[in-house]
Amino acid sequence: MKKKFASVLLCAAMAVSLLTGCGSTGETQKPAESKPAAEASKDNNGGADATGSVYYLNFKPEVTAVWESLAAKYTEETGVPVKVVTAAQGTYEQTLMSEIANAEAPTLFQINGPIGYQNWKDYCADLKDTDLYSWLLDKSLAITGEDGGVYGIPYVVEGYGIIYNDAIMQKYFALDGAKAASMDEINNFETLKAVVEDMQAKKDQLGIEGVFASTSLKTGDDWRWQTHLANIPVYYEYKDKNITDTDALEFKYAENYKNIFDLYINNSCTAPGLLGSKAVDDSMAEFALGKVAMVQNGNWAWGQISGVDGNTVKAEDVKFLPIYTGVKGEESQGLCTGTENFFSINSQASPEDQAASIAFVEWVFSSDTGKAAVTNDLGFIAPFNTFADDEKPSDPLAQEVLRYMSDSSKTSVAWNFTSFPSQQFKDDFGAALLEYAAGSMSWDDVKALVVERWAAEKAAIAQ
Amino acid sequence: MKKKKLSNAILFCVLCVLVVIFLTPIFFVVLNSFKGKLFISNDPFAFPTKETFAGLSNYINGIEKTNFFASFGWSAFITVFSVLAILLFTSMTAYYLTRVKTKITSVLYYLFVFSMIVPFQMVMFTMSKLANMTHLNNPVGMVILYLGFGAGLSIFMFCGFIKSVPLDIEEAAMIDGCNPLQTFFKVVLPILKPTAITVAILNAMWIWNDYLLPYLVIGLSTPYKTIPVSVQYLVGSYGAKDMGAMMALLVLSIIPIIIFYLTCQKYIIEGVVAGAVKG
Amino acid sequence: MQKTLKRYFPIFVVPTLIAFSFAFIIPFVMGVYLSFCKFKTITNAQFIGFDNYIKIFADKDFLNSFLFTLKFSVVSIVTINVFAFMLALALTKKIKGTNLFRTVFFMPNLIGGIILGYIWQQMINAVLLRYETTLIANATYGFWGLVILMNWQMIGYMMIIYIAGLQNVPTDLIEAAQIDGATGWQILTRVKIPMVMPSITICLFLTVSNSFKLFDQNLALTAGAPSKKTAMMALDIYNTFYGRTGFEGVGQAKAVLFFIIAAAIALTQLAVTRRKEVEQ
Repeated sequence: MKKKFASVLLCAAMAVSLLTGCGSTGETQKPAESKPAAEASKDNNGGADATGSVYYLNFKPEVTAVWESLAAKYTEETGVPVKVVTAAQGTYEQTLMSEIANAEAPTLFQINGPIGYQNWKDYCADLKDTDLYSWLLDKSLAITGEDGGVYGIPYVVEGYGIIYNDAIMQKYFALDGAKAASMDEINNFETLKAVVEDMQAKKDQLGIEGVFASTSLKTGDDWRWQTHLANIPVYYEYKDKNITDTDALEFKYAENYKNIFDLYINNSCTAPGLLGSKAVDDSMAEFALGKVAMVQNGNWAWGQISGVDGNTVKAEDVKFLPIYTGVKGEESQGLCTGTENFFSINSQASPEDQAASIAFVEWVFSSDTGKAAVTNDLGFIAPFNTFADDEKPSDPLAQEVLRYMSDSSKTSVAWNFTSFPSQQFKDDFGAALLEYAAGSMSWDDVKALVVERWAAEKAAIAQ
Repeated sequence: MKKKKLSNAILFCVLCVLVVIFLTPIFFVVLNSFKGKLFISNDPFAFPTKETFAGLSNYINGIEKTNFFASFGWSAFITVFSVLAILLFTSMTAYYLTRVKTKITSVLYYLFVFSMIVPFQMVMFTMSKLANMTHLNNPVGMVILYLGFGAGLSIFMFCGFIKSVPLDIEEAAMIDGCNPLQTFFKVVLPILKPTAITVAILNAMWIWNDYLLPYLVIGLSTPYKTIPVSVQYLVGSYGAKDMGAMMALLVLSIIPIIIFYLTCQKYIIEGVVAGAVKG
Repeated sequence: MQKTLKRYFPIFVVPTLIAFSFAFIIPFVMGVYLSFCKFKTITNAQFIGFDNYIKIFADKDFLNSFLFTLKFSVVSIVTINVFAFMLALALTKKIKGTNLFRTVFFMPNLIGGIILGYIWQQMINAVLLRYETTLIANATYGFWGLVILMNWQMIGYMMIIYIAGLQNVPTDLIEAAQIDGATGWQILTRVKIPMVMPSITICLFLTVSNSFKLFDQNLALTAGAPSKKTAMMALDIYNTFYGRTGFEGVGQAKAVLFFIIAAAIALTQLAVTRRKEVEQ
């Protein structure tokens, strides 16, 4: 609970600093602070010598190109070789498992939270004395071990919800008999459902193929549902019980999950039976091409939207709506914000490689080149004090995340999915959703499976 | 006789239909490799139209994303040298094991034969760990590993053949003053040629198409990705997004095989039959 | 001669033996040992007895994959051999274009499993698109998808072996039967099939071992989806190993069981072939 509160506080603080930062241009305090840090990292480079090299196993396929170009620039600047390899969607743990066993193992990888740390603690080096840790705005966000060491440092704060195309929504609101007059009225599931179903009925008038983009259930592309969407019922269950983790999930908000999931699959441009062939990228392309009005995803998806050929959606029309599921009091619910991306350094790598990897990460988050790529290309809201107020991403989705975080009437939903028992659990859940969508599994069975798999996987990990 | 002609004509037609069915998947991939990636899932069986035709862009994309020519090169390197190593070393070993009868040789022979029935999964983890610890995780190391893995079948086949070779010629060579090495290379090896072709073809087919061994041993971080590893890597991390590039890459992966097949068809079919009958 | 050759052991045997040790002997012995251990890397293995083997049966994955493999093997062995034999009969009838037909039918056999798997994945999805469903929506589609794929790949190979067998049937035998007034069907069942029995045995065992150890095609076509219902044994072992941290030992133990089953099949093959040879 404390952690959650702290992360909300951090987000709020960052948002406030952004807003005030925009007002007062003369603020120089933060860049000044970051200067010695940057120097320190240069020293590290010197210390690393030419013998060290970096192998980064990237988690996010959508930003592979950015990391590759950052790596190339770093090598050009310092002569230290940096290799970037990207794991396929949904196979990060698996790839890490086979790669770390190699002689040329990743020196820099990521863990997805406390559960990830439990799996990989034999490979996580203590990062307590690094500059990167000292730059972290909220130290409580880092993953710490029982011995007080720091084993994972978050490098991005992200938010997700339902992304909508405001142009299409305005077109709908202008129609006769629209179920709502503006987005502000859509602040609970009931209204959302009425609007969505009405829009689906009038899709020809709106010039769309469906309200929601495909609920991508292809293997490895189902994380938006088995992880992100699943976070919401878990969040409310934790909140009711005032806990942050549990060995036995009741899944008491299963009906709420079903509410929104049914809405997604039944009011979409793709028939439910076909969802197993759709990837996240298909969904984002549908949205970018204006074929649909809404898609559930996070601010990292901006690059995917803007990068589609023949993209018709305008930046100013891309907005976020919280994911409403019919829980009491959800009118004040905000976006889901948090992080599941923690950098770890491979403690089994040679000291030279470890130093080189730390230096590389520090360069990314402190040098001008690195910071520019982080803010503009990766679109990261980086939780480090090396970023000045004007160094926040300017893409519309990041702006929306910052807006929601600074809105005191909204409560952000924490990323409780970092406590999900394992990738196996998520995969099983995703497969069940696929069968549910295809009509070969009942919702009761899905619910029972979630409860059973959760308990079984938690027990397996405890061993 | 007339009846036979008619039935043959019907048979001919049926076979023609079957040929079309057999080739459909390949046509299908070729067809779609020329369509824009967003159009493929709309109507996968339609011919490209002006709107959907993507020219060679999928090919360029696929080649760039996977560094296809490098993969082709490494696949070729590993296959060619592994096959050569297997031919040379296992034929020598087989010769020795057949001609020298001791306890050790018979134990070794059964050990090699035994390895043929062990599924790869049994050794995949330990073998890839060992390969990493001993720095065999590179193309040269792969050649050594393939020699080890291919040894079972190859020795089995060579031994089967050598047993039927009469001793007289070798003995004559020895009397002429050849040492065993000279005897082997001058006399035995030429006789082994038909078996060698079979062994080469069976191993080449297997090594060229093998996925798990190079994936586990070489991994994704090195530039030595073979074609199957590249295809799997592209499909995993990009392919879901870029069906066009995937189709193009599938076509590119098939082309060398088809060329090889059409040029060496006779040897391949004979080799496969011989291999099946002896194995 | 044996004496002089004997001294050449280091040149003739040692190179192969070294490679064989790295690729097989050492990993095999370690693999057996590790199946009784809890480990993440080889160096930190801890002996725990039969725990891993007990755990195999704690979840149904392994058993399910075994049953799926069995079902798949039976269906594909029957279909492949029946189709291949029929094609072989057709292609030994001396009709036009036999060579071309043979070339085409055999070709898929040369394409690698990963590539084949993706080609068919795209094909089948394209067909299923018309029925608004996909390959991984239902395990039945995955099952038949795999069967079709295997047929496509293996029919040509088996056909070639059957052709070789049929060509060895002496023509005077068939002519004699014809003179005796045997029908085409009788010639087939009484003369041809008994004469090509050795080919049938070979083909059966080739299809058995290929179906049973199938991995690449399975990985590329469905990767076990949905809910691991189309995962065959090799894939299940791979997933246990690399998909779940903490289950490496269980994966290795599964591999040992897999090996035992494969060995049992191979020994049966050997026994059958031996008996056949004696009869002849």
